[in-house]
Amino acid sequence: MVLTIYGFAPTAGTRRITLICKELNIPYEFVVVDLAAGEHKTPAYLEKQPFGQVPAIDDGGFKLYESRAIGRYLAAKAGSPLLPNSDPKKLAEFEVAASIEYSNFDPFASKIAYEKVFKPVQGLATDEAVVAECLAALTAKLEIYEVILGKQKYLAGDKITLADFFHLPYGSILVQVGFDVFSTPNLKRWWNDISSRPSWQAVKDSA
Amino acid sequence: MVLTLYGFSLSTCTRRVAVVCKELGIPYEFVAVNLAVGEHKTPAYLEKQPFGQVPAIDDDGFKLYESRAIARYLAAKAGSPLFPISDPKKLAEFEVAASIEYSNFDPYASKIALEKVFKPLRGLATDEAVVAERLAGLTAKLEAYEVILGKQKYLAGDEVTLADLFHLPYGSVLVQAGVDIFSTPNVKRWWNDISSRPSWQAVKHSA
Repeated sequence: MVLTIYGFAPTAGTRRITLICKELNIPYEFVVVDLAAGEHKTPAYLEKQPFGQVPAIDDGGFKLYESRAIGRYLAAKAGSPLLPNSDPKKLAEFEVAASIEYSNFDPFASKIAYEKVFKPVQGLATDEAVVAECLAALTAKLEIYEVILGKQKYLAGDKITLADFFHLPYGSILVQVGFDVFSTPNLKRWWNDISSRPSWQAVKDSA
Repeated sequence: MVLTLYGFSLSTCTRRVAVVCKELGIPYEFVAVNLAVGEHKTPAYLEKQPFGQVPAIDDDGFKLYESRAIARYLAAKAGSPLFPISDPKKLAEFEVAASIEYSNFDPYASKIALEKVFKPLRGLATDEAVVAERLAGLTAKLEAYEVILGKQKYLAGDEVTLADLFHLPYGSVLVQAGVDIFSTPNVKRWWNDISSRPSWQAVKHSA
């Protein structure tokens, strides 16, 4: 039975997992959750995802949500080195990189994306002060990425992992709205590498 | 060689690692990083943690940071069911719960803690509008926790995992500050359970 993904393509979480599916060559059936119509808050959808968020998956009856959890599950199932779980130290270093993404990148990048893209789509005004504050904070964090990526090719070491991929959805939105945040040499090298992968190209504009 | 934990004894993230060490019976040497004098921004400390944050560990020469990554490493090393890596479905459900903590709890709880507790400690004024907005968000999220915890004992299933423990530091700061967020029946039951564990009692006031 093919994997079912419930989601809404313009959202970061949804594209975070369609990207991983493409990277791992996992076929999937995509079922649109109509956020504009409030479908994510219906009892039927809340059965799949109690927080009323996208995405959620059904893998032959096994239901999961939270894109980074789904990504880990699919990579582990595929035995993929994107989740290096056979080596305790490599796994630990992967988890450091994954934690860096959601602690030091996501809070700022997601806020900027919300203000500059998702609020306007709903007819709400962008709070430019919030954008400026988040951009300043993100820029400071990315200076550290520059240091890390000067010592190794990717965030967890010299091999690409889910931790690198997890940056693509919000990172791409930042670039699209004109924030050239991946401009220093190592960041640029890393960003060009991960964002040019066919798996990202396949889903960046849709699921 | 005993594990070295670098941190600040009152820091939430430092105590996140400390509680897991206590839970796993892992002895550690605590080395205080003097945040007040900016020790976390010195070149010597930045070697351990390039973002200049606490905590960091040195496990017999193996260096890690990011509290949730450290916790996973230690639990995996101990073969503990707190991090159920041997069962793919239990592991996936654990990762959902762990993701819930950092996506749906931490962004709200940490901001409320910053405004209501940590800023006043530094002589800065609380932004009550931010507190109100974050508290409303957190209350809504905990309604979903109430549903989840009505079906199972803990966030990942019927056994306690790291995902539950990860809530302890910020959850406790909020409770101590008089923010009664764990008030609905199932959430209250769960919170009383995890916060009364001897491991948390041992470190809740200091790592």
